[in-house]
Amino acid sequence: MTRALPESRAGRVVLEARGITKRFGSVVANDRIDLTVRAGELHAILGENGAGKTTLMRILFGELQPDEGEIYLDGQRVRFRSPRDALRHGIGMVHQERKLIPAHTALENIVLGHPRTKAILDLREAEREIEALCARYGFRIPLHAKVWQLSEGEKQIVEIVKELYHGARILILDEPTSVLSPPEIVKLLESLTKMAKEDFAVIPFITHKLPVVLEYCDRVTILRRGRVVAEMETRHATEQTLAAAMVGRDVVLQVERVEVPVGEPVVRVSDLWVRDDRGLFAVQGLSFEVRAGEILGLAGVAGNGQEPLAEALAGLRPVERGSILLDGVDITHAPVLERWRRGLGYVPTERREVGSIPSFSLVDNVLLNYHFEPEFSRWGVLATGRARELTERIIAEYSVVAAGPEALAKSLSGGNLQKVILGRVLSRHPRFLIACLPTHGLDVGAAEFVQRKLLDAKRAGTAVLLISEDLDEILALSDRIAAIYEGQFTGVVPASEATKELIGELMAGLRRERV
Amino acid sequence: MRAVIGGYAIRIERRADVRWWQTALASVLAILVSLFLVGIAFVRVGADPLEVYREIVNYAFLSQFGLPQTINRATYVLLAAFAIIVPLRAGLWNIGMPGQIFAGTLAAFGVAYAFGAKTASATELPGALVVPLMLVAALAAGAVYGAIAGFLRGRFQVNEIVTTMMLNWAMLWIVAHMIREGGPFMGRTAEGEGFTLPTSLRVPQAFGLPVTVYATVILALLLTWFLAKTTLGYRIRTFGESPRAAEYAGIDATRVSTLVFALGGLFAGFAGFHYFLGVPGVYKIPKNYGDLGDFSFYGLITGLIARNNPIAAIPVAILFGGVSGGARFMQGKLRLAFGIDYALLGVLMIMMVAFQALAQFSLRIERAATVAATQVERGESRVESPHH
Amino acid sequence: MSNLLIISLAAAAVFAIAALGELLEQRAGILNVGLEGVMLLSGTFGFIAAKTSGSYLEGFLVALLTGALVGLLHGFFSITLGSNQVVNGMAIWILGFGLTTYIGYPYTGPLGLQPFPTIAGFPVFFLVALVLAASLWFLLYKTHLGLKLRSVGENPSVAEASGVSVTAMRYLAVVLAGALVGLGGAVYSLVYNPVWSYNYLQGWGFIALALVFFSLWNPFLIVAGAVFFGFLWQLSLYPELLFPNVFSRYIWRAMPFLITIVVFVILSTRWFRLRWGATKPEALGVPYQRES
Repeated sequence: MTRALPESRAGRVVLEARGITKRFGSVVANDRIDLTVRAGELHAILGENGAGKTTLMRILFGELQPDEGEIYLDGQRVRFRSPRDALRHGIGMVHQERKLIPAHTALENIVLGHPRTKAILDLREAEREIEALCARYGFRIPLHAKVWQLSEGEKQIVEIVKELYHGARILILDEPTSVLSPPEIVKLLESLTKMAKEDFAVIPFITHKLPVVLEYCDRVTILRRGRVVAEMETRHATEQTLAAAMVGRDVVLQVERVEVPVGEPVVRVSDLWVRDDRGLFAVQGLSFEVRAGEILGLAGVAGNGQEPLAEALAGLRPVERGSILLDGVDITHAPVLERWRRGLGYVPTERREVGSIPSFSLVDNVLLNYHFEPEFSRWGVLATGRARELTERIIAEYSVVAAGPEALAKSLSGGNLQKVILGRVLSRHPRFLIACLPTHGLDVGAAEFVQRKLLDAKRAGTAVLLISEDLDEILALSDRIAAIYEGQFTGVVPASEATKELIGELMAGLRRERV
Repeated sequence: MRAVIGGYAIRIERRADVRWWQTALASVLAILVSLFLVGIAFVRVGADPLEVYREIVNYAFLSQFGLPQTINRATYVLLAAFAIIVPLRAGLWNIGMPGQIFAGTLAAFGVAYAFGAKTASATELPGALVVPLMLVAALAAGAVYGAIAGFLRGRFQVNEIVTTMMLNWAMLWIVAHMIREGGPFMGRTAEGEGFTLPTSLRVPQAFGLPVTVYATVILALLLTWFLAKTTLGYRIRTFGESPRAAEYAGIDATRVSTLVFALGGLFAGFAGFHYFLGVPGVYKIPKNYGDLGDFSFYGLITGLIARNNPIAAIPVAILFGGVSGGARFMQGKLRLAFGIDYALLGVLMIMMVAFQALAQFSLRIERAATVAATQVERGESRVESPHH
Repeated sequence: MSNLLIISLAAAAVFAIAALGELLEQRAGILNVGLEGVMLLSGTFGFIAAKTSGSYLEGFLVALLTGALVGLLHGFFSITLGSNQVVNGMAIWILGFGLTTYIGYPYTGPLGLQPFPTIAGFPVFFLVALVLAASLWFLLYKTHLGLKLRSVGENPSVAEASGVSVTAMRYLAVVLAGALVGLGGAVYSLVYNPVWSYNYLQGWGFIALALVFFSLWNPFLIVAGAVFFGFLWQLSLYPELLFPNVFSRYIWRAMPFLITIVVFVILSTRWFRLRWGATKPEALGVPYQRES
């Protein structure tokens, strides 16, 4: 099937960006970026969070207009006014957050808006074409399944196929590996390589997973603080040189794990079954315990039951079967407030939707975890003075950058908001803390701060359940690591025995330890 | 959105923040434009609208007869507005004021009936005992009837707009059953209306107005304090801003929605108590009770214009109490068709929504040459961060 | 009894046609809770037009046009201005209630035309409702236009990125929906009960709205639900046919409203809600702003 690229085309420059500059207020997100992409290559863009990858990507895809600089396609200067415009020029983009309609089938998603789709849907022809496309690059997706039924990996492939079907010749992929298990990554990259060999230019933007870059990509451009710091062929690079270029210093920051004597089990969960919003069992018979002074890290690819588990523990989702004991008391069906009173603390994933109220002041946000306490509600009247004092204390102790306790939550950055939420929850000295993706999307400084606070809580004897998609974070903080796959534990490993490879395989469900 | 016309660029943009005076201005404009539009109806019968409005003001706010009527109607509208405001603070819609009003009214008359008010001569009944009982019955019945919709919403996610509307219509027929064709509350003289309260069971008056009027003003203050300072008020506001955050904070959705609808119903029940047991010349469930029930929808627009603020609702309610009564007065005088006050209500509502929506936008006219510069500014004003 | 069934179908036609219109716009993500207002306006204007011209055709045309225009108005608020759709719907309802009370009042009384023809006693508009349900289903699930309409109701930004104009699709939906709802209003005021009186629609628009929520957004279930409510309604008007001498006739009139609530509570079981969650257009009631 593979058809070699015609000599004339191979290696020709297809996309060139010159001097791209983009400012947001005083922040220069992209500073005179040059990028040259050739046909037939897999050209990775590397950079940490905040290096300017997203901005560059959005500019290339027509979602943002650069303040300065030009883009050339096949030597022709182009200006994209919209993503639609970019696609017309053959640039397709696969976002990190899925751009698919869950209620529609994969096929419907792919043909939606395609100029050749006829007024009366006759999908047989489209289906044949799409199946040929899939076969050619080794993709396998159930075209007639609804998208919500697909795994994250399959959804990503649907998007790739959609871009190809709509005529993309240059494919930009935002963190294509982040939602995949290690074996899925290998499969995807093999397909992408195949595509690149034929006549595509494929540009994955990647933060982590350096070995993958080295193994599959032909060329890499590295961004740091909005600038290009290096461009090289991967065969001249090593993991160390890439990492050094990305980070700009030799040592990657590490939080020090502290060993404290582990106490009694605080939480005992046995044979827990929980349904998701669609009524399917997302948590299937989990049993575990978390001890005082211990962090249990829950590692898993997004969507394997972590959220429903956390919600069931916090009392936000009914438990179908099984039991949850907190300090020996059965709280399986207890209302939320009783759990809080008994010492549960919960830092939810969605900071702005669940963990806080953007239009409320910080004081009112702190009250979310205190309005039911007698000291804060006397004769049914809020003790606002007390709440304000507490808020001021949290602001000081967590070095929150905010105009004051009356500042609205929506005026805070993600990192500062997370500090307020964590500070509010930890100020209750919980016996059991559930922390869901506590550092997701935070800048390095705030992330480190949050991680230190989690360790402080552990030192103070809190039992911590840390749910994270960042394997490095899990490995750095946890005392024991449980890997979850399709609602079941595939293994629970002490930190001393855990390696990235082992946990990776457990997360992918390729291997099962005795639990 | 941008259009260039003759060297000038007109830009329409969404404001990042709408200031309170912009909202207030929008409301005032909406009221003025509505009055102007309804004025067309007066023009059509050959009257000078300015003259008509002068007469309306004279009648409603300056005349001996009109002013108390205005205040009584305004009290009714204001209480109906409270019935809207409390659930709306929790993000829920109560359009069941008519039903709740008559639930309260029927209960109050029920108490009177139980004491034999329908037949006994006026002097025999101990008003000091029965009237408070009637009040309690009205409040409780309004609250319970309101709470149904709130409970169903909280517990079963049944759309509260539909439920309250269904309850309105059900109550309308229940009232008919009570006062028509030999129903228990049917008056002795006239078919199709309720019995008249004996004088001892009427709401007492002070300074020429039923005491319920003064109570309502105090309620406005209490309600403001309740929503701002109490724990329950906090829970209601939290639920209204974000049901998911409220759930996280352990605030029970069923309890909050039942509570806000019970409170709303309580105010509506009080509105019924005030109007049908307190306003001179009424003192019964009249024939056109359905029409009076629908009049409570003025509370909806009052609540919206006052932006859910009970105290700000006071002047708005007085304005509408006066204008609607005055319009009806002019309708008779000019021999207009029935319902000019409802036409005003409809036009007001749509204008109100239109102007509030338009207040979200700013319009700027500038020289086309400066457009390049403004585009940079537009880039800066983007809220989202460049990083993910 | 068979008479009861036939007249139930006549009532069902009103519920079904209006609810199908609402379903169409909800599928495109627009929620109009002011169905009652649209039906009142188009029903009243259609009634006036038919009464003054003596022509059913003119009445229906005016009703369709009114419905489409009111839909357009709701669309302008909801799509272009992007304000809260529930508030907009409330405004449409109050506008309809207020304006028609005043404008319709001089026309109080019967329409005064020959009764609308039937097919051997069978209500024509019930057949129309069936055809509309089937057409709507075909449109939504078997055409590219339908796929686009559903897409803007599920996730407008994805649809936009796929080259679908969200604004155009939504405007198309509100206008078509408005016309359908308007037709429903006219079927009530010209055919089912051709007598104008104060607030004559008696909350039927709200029942139709409720029907959409509980139909799982399926056109055929709407027709089935409409038949149920049509029957319920007729039964409340002629209770002596089934339950002679139980309750006063006024209590019977209250029944359909109470039973509507009860039915919806029963339908709100967990089983039903899981399906409800799965079929509800995800972007329903959410204004969409294009990223510039």
